[in-house]
Amino acid sequence: MLQLVVGQLLNGVIIGTLYGIIALGVTLTFGITGIVNFALGAFMAIGAYVGWYLTDGLGIAYPAAIPLAVCATALMGLLADQTLFRFTRNNLINGLIVSIGLISVIESVLLMLWTTTPKNMHYVLPGVIDFGWFIVPRMKGVVFLVLLAVILATYAALTRTWTGRAAYAYAQAPEAALLMGVRTRLLETGVVVYSTALAGLGGALYASLYSLEVSLGSSYILKGVEAAILAGIGSVMGSLMGGILLGVTEAVGSIFFPQAYRDAYGLVFLVLVLLFRPAGLFGARR
Amino acid sequence: MKPAMKVVLAWLPLFLVPLVLHNEVVLTILVFTFILGILAVSFNLIFGYTGQLSMFHAAAFGIAAYATHLSMAHLGVSFWIGMALAVLVVSALSLVVGTICFRFKLKEFYFAIVTLAFSEMARLVILNWGSFTNGSLGINLNSKPTLWLPGGSIPVEGTRMWYYLSLTALIATVAVVTRVVHSWMGRAFAAIRINDELADTLGIDVFRYKLVSFAIGNAGAAVAGALYAFYLSYIEPGYLSIEQSLAIVAMALLGGRDWVVGPIVGALILTALPHVIELSAEARILVYGLILIVTILALPRGIAGVFARRRRVL
Repeated sequence: MLQLVVGQLLNGVIIGTLYGIIALGVTLTFGITGIVNFALGAFMAIGAYVGWYLTDGLGIAYPAAIPLAVCATALMGLLADQTLFRFTRNNLINGLIVSIGLISVIESVLLMLWTTTPKNMHYVLPGVIDFGWFIVPRMKGVVFLVLLAVILATYAALTRTWTGRAAYAYAQAPEAALLMGVRTRLLETGVVVYSTALAGLGGALYASLYSLEVSLGSSYILKGVEAAILAGIGSVMGSLMGGILLGVTEAVGSIFFPQAYRDAYGLVFLVLVLLFRPAGLFGARR
Repeated sequence: MKPAMKVVLAWLPLFLVPLVLHNEVVLTILVFTFILGILAVSFNLIFGYTGQLSMFHAAAFGIAAYATHLSMAHLGVSFWIGMALAVLVVSALSLVVGTICFRFKLKEFYFAIVTLAFSEMARLVILNWGSFTNGSLGINLNSKPTLWLPGGSIPVEGTRMWYYLSLTALIATVAVVTRVVHSWMGRAFAAIRINDELADTLGIDVFRYKLVSFAIGNAGAAVAGALYAFYLSYIEPGYLSIEQSLAIVAMALLGGRDWVVGPIVGALILTALPHVIELSAEARILVYGLILIVTILALPRGIAGVFARRRRVL
């Protein structure tokens, strides 16, 4: 029993970091541009499909395919920002609807390119890590470490560099930041593109673990938004913690409660947090 | 003349359409437009008039579809009593969900997310409560609503009968919503939409009026759900999906959220479009997405906004 719980706990943590990387994108985009980019799940799908295609279709080594997939996704993000999101800054409902429209556009293009047949990448890194009385597939361990490193690096960059402090300043007082020489339009575009790149990274790593379908991002964006709110919108480390918390709640919850209601446990938790701690679990720092 | 009366009179000519038009496909599209129009118009009372982006609408629609069927199957009542029970159930649920959301002063995005969460919970319950709802397979509905006319009751069957029934229901919905938005209540809704803190300062009971708007809107969705289910003769958990909620938002935005009848235009376009142009499934998703994007960026007031001279104040 303990073994099962620990196993599920680890699974929850690993899935949770995937939620966390999406939540980080949600949080950053919301903090800087005032919209929730629901299309991040679809950008994750772009990253996953491009990563799969480069590795299994073109035969590029997986470690090289990941950065290429991330760049491709970021390029799409730049395109989306310049053609769409540039016009919906600080307009929550318009941004929401435009990003939902964008999901349909991206999914249909992926379908036209790669059909509805689920895609499975070959095993990039077979084998397991043996911890004695429980095991973790090696690839899952790698995915976890890469995502963790990227989230920590983002946190470090936001708190230690000029650009990062400019972002915090802009989130608090846009006009004051503008007057202090922050190039706000560049910052907004940069954050939108960076969040899509994060989603693309999540997708490219996802491709090595699970089978791909075009709507793979739809549950991740919902979980990402849940995790971001759970943590408190604007908190970087909180989005990681929120993601892990959500992943663990679901994984461990489905041992003790019916598996069919797996998605509901996170939702109940979310509603309770929003009602009793609207700023989120980890404060309100933006 | 009162605005609600005007609506009824203006819509009467539509009753003549089936007399001159015998195209089954067009009539079917119109029936779907009318039923989804009820859904979109009632959603717009909450969204366009009170300014609250509710994601609970598909849940109200779907719960009513199931509640109507279940009360008919297990209590042995007629379709109309079943529908009335469904409206009651949905209104009661709306009061609970609304009370939770508005008591805790959830706004904008947070309101959308919490209503979405409740909507998803309802969908999961219906999906997994197999003995009552048959899970993801859904239920085929064999019974039909009946109408009492002088000289006996007749079942509502065939496109023509449904045309008259759904059109009547739509006109009733539009009349009620028009009546509401032109009343003192409508003014309170508008005040809340424009600035709810100021509305509060002016002595408007923001909590109560938000709740009333939410409950009336969802009751409208319940009527639409019951009709839709029995027109299609099939119910499934997809009625409560997020996609369904988003489609309703799209109808309201596309048609124009500043007008009572605006969302009906959106319902017509989104219903008719797949039939008007032959498209593959992928292309259809693409066109749907592009319509959403272009509407928001190019026509922020929707299609009705193009023809209207000025923005409504109330």
